[in-house]
Amino acid sequence: MSTVLQLKNITKTYGDMRALNGIDLALPGDAYISLLGPSGSGKTTLLRVIAGFEHPDGGAILFDGKRIDTVAPHKRGIGFVFQNFALFPHLSVAQNIAFGLENREDEPVTDRRVVEARVRDIISLVGLSGLEGRAVTQISGGQRQRVALARTLVTEPRMVLLDEPLGALDANLRARMRAELRAIRERCGVTFLHVTGSEAEALAMGDTVLVLESGRIAQSADSDTVYNRPASPAVARFLNCYNLFPGRIEGGAFVGGVGRFALGAAAPTRATSPAYAIRYDRVSVRPPEAAITEDEIRIEANFVASEYSGAAVNSFFALDDGRVFEVESHLSHAAPETYAEKGRYALVWKREDALVYV
Amino acid sequence: MSMMAVAEQTETETVAEKKPPGKALWLLAPGVIWMTLFLVLPMLMMVYVSFWTQTTFTIEPTLTLKSWITFFTSDTYLGALWTTVRIWLIVLVATVLVGYPAALFVGLFVKNKALQTVLLVLCVIPFWTSFLIRVLAWRPMLGKEGAINMILMNLGITDAPIEVLLFSELSVIIGMTQIYCVFMVGPIAFMLGRIDTSIIEAAQDLGAGFWRIFRTIILPLSMPGVVVGAIFVSVMVLGEFATSAALSGRKVNLLGNIIVTQVGSLKWAFAAVAGVVLTILMGAVVAALLRVVDLRKEL
Repeated sequence: MSTVLQLKNITKTYGDMRALNGIDLALPGDAYISLLGPSGSGKTTLLRVIAGFEHPDGGAILFDGKRIDTVAPHKRGIGFVFQNFALFPHLSVAQNIAFGLENREDEPVTDRRVVEARVRDIISLVGLSGLEGRAVTQISGGQRQRVALARTLVTEPRMVLLDEPLGALDANLRARMRAELRAIRERCGVTFLHVTGSEAEALAMGDTVLVLESGRIAQSADSDTVYNRPASPAVARFLNCYNLFPGRIEGGAFVGGVGRFALGAAAPTRATSPAYAIRYDRVSVRPPEAAITEDEIRIEANFVASEYSGAAVNSFFALDDGRVFEVESHLSHAAPETYAEKGRYALVWKREDALVYV
Repeated sequence: MSMMAVAEQTETETVAEKKPPGKALWLLAPGVIWMTLFLVLPMLMMVYVSFWTQTTFTIEPTLTLKSWITFFTSDTYLGALWTTVRIWLIVLVATVLVGYPAALFVGLFVKNKALQTVLLVLCVIPFWTSFLIRVLAWRPMLGKEGAINMILMNLGITDAPIEVLLFSELSVIIGMTQIYCVFMVGPIAFMLGRIDTSIIEAAQDLGAGFWRIFRTIILPLSMPGVVVGAIFVSVMVLGEFATSAALSGRKVNLLGNIIVTQVGSLKWAFAAVAGVVLTILMGAVVAALLRVVDLRKEL
């Protein structure tokens, strides 16, 4: 895979706030890339800098090996799909899609038949056939999303930036549009850079997942790696599936607020601050008197509450230092256990399953 | 049992929805009574009076078409009607030409909402003085020895004062454009302020230049503002008499001036005819403007 977009040490400051703090990244062509970040991590700023709506304070942006930082947005060959879709409210579906072809400064398409043919092609590509003449105020959220995408794709960009494209849709539709977006991208073969605040969406959609954390790329890897081996405690926290303990490493063990955890064989990951992370679904709940084996780690906690979500149940325990510890039990092979309210339980996990950061 | 209860509940809900809001209608009563007594009845009365018989000093309720025939055969009245239409059209175009760019600046290029409000309030500040003072203040500006002529002569641009500046149709147009411009700026700036900036960014991203975006996106989206502003300006200019009286030196007679003169000389029937003609003209203008944009859809 060849690199299509490269960012070198991009910085952007608003007043005292460093929105982008030295972003380095290289995006492959013909791929679906999701950019995951909590709100305020600078993900929209990064997208707007790539699109050209904002100018970076420092660094270089290369597109196909050429610098584009000083090039106007519409000459970059990068399409932008806005979070609220930004459709032209007074134009019909077909007119919205044809807008770029007819009105661009460089080589506008003046032949009506060519415009109509290309609009027709893209309308069938995104699955909007039959709605050409509708006003964009008369169609559903999912259909508007498709119009916004089609309006960008019809101008044949080399890359498409999507700013939280599913954020304005309801949950049902969001799941359907995920698959749809991936399919549309495969059909037209351009790189999609999809910004989202939802870890599930990022993991489900991205061939590559970028995790942005306080203005920096904290991790860039495939979904499986991001989920199973987050590069830093911050990434682990943001994935919302790890119990994290701060502390320090002392003589082959991690010393945290609730005790000493013996370390496994794997070398700890380098990070800015030491932390110990164990995934919610790697922990088992046992009666306090149950014995543990050599390679297991055990802490005690009081049961607080549990939350049933169909395929799994998440139980919350209060540790002795007041922290909340979460355990996820999958229900595919077992009926949900019921725990006594405020009852004391042993929480046990395998040493090797934990991730340690120093 | 519980099914029954649900069914019953839905039924009562639909009944409640269909029932006209009987008691709420009383809220309209004061408005309806007021408008009937002081707007609808006087207007009907005006139409009625326009058919009364006018003699030099009295008016009798004997129905006749005489006043109407006099109005439509007299050069003075028809001339006033034509002057009214001409001045209205010129002022309307002038307020759009002056007001639209100002509204574009305030509504679209000023990003700060607070600054937007401040600028719009600045437009309204002249209204803190009385209408007559605003009109009369143009005299020392436009007069033969007024500010504008003094400046032009001192700069050596003109040798003699430009006399057409005051007591002419031009001075009426200058004065009216200044006074009514803000009624054009307000609605347009409001509509422009409602345009989502991401729509304009999207158009830029798709490659359109500023003028294309203006013609294809900004102008159509601001049309409701232009129409509302045009309605304001039209209704006010068509009913004008004070500006032309103060700035034209009685050379420009609008329908409004005719009505004032006729009422002054107790010619009620003629005044009523001019009033009915003016009202019909305004109604036609407003109806035509509403044709341009479907305001119900836009607002």
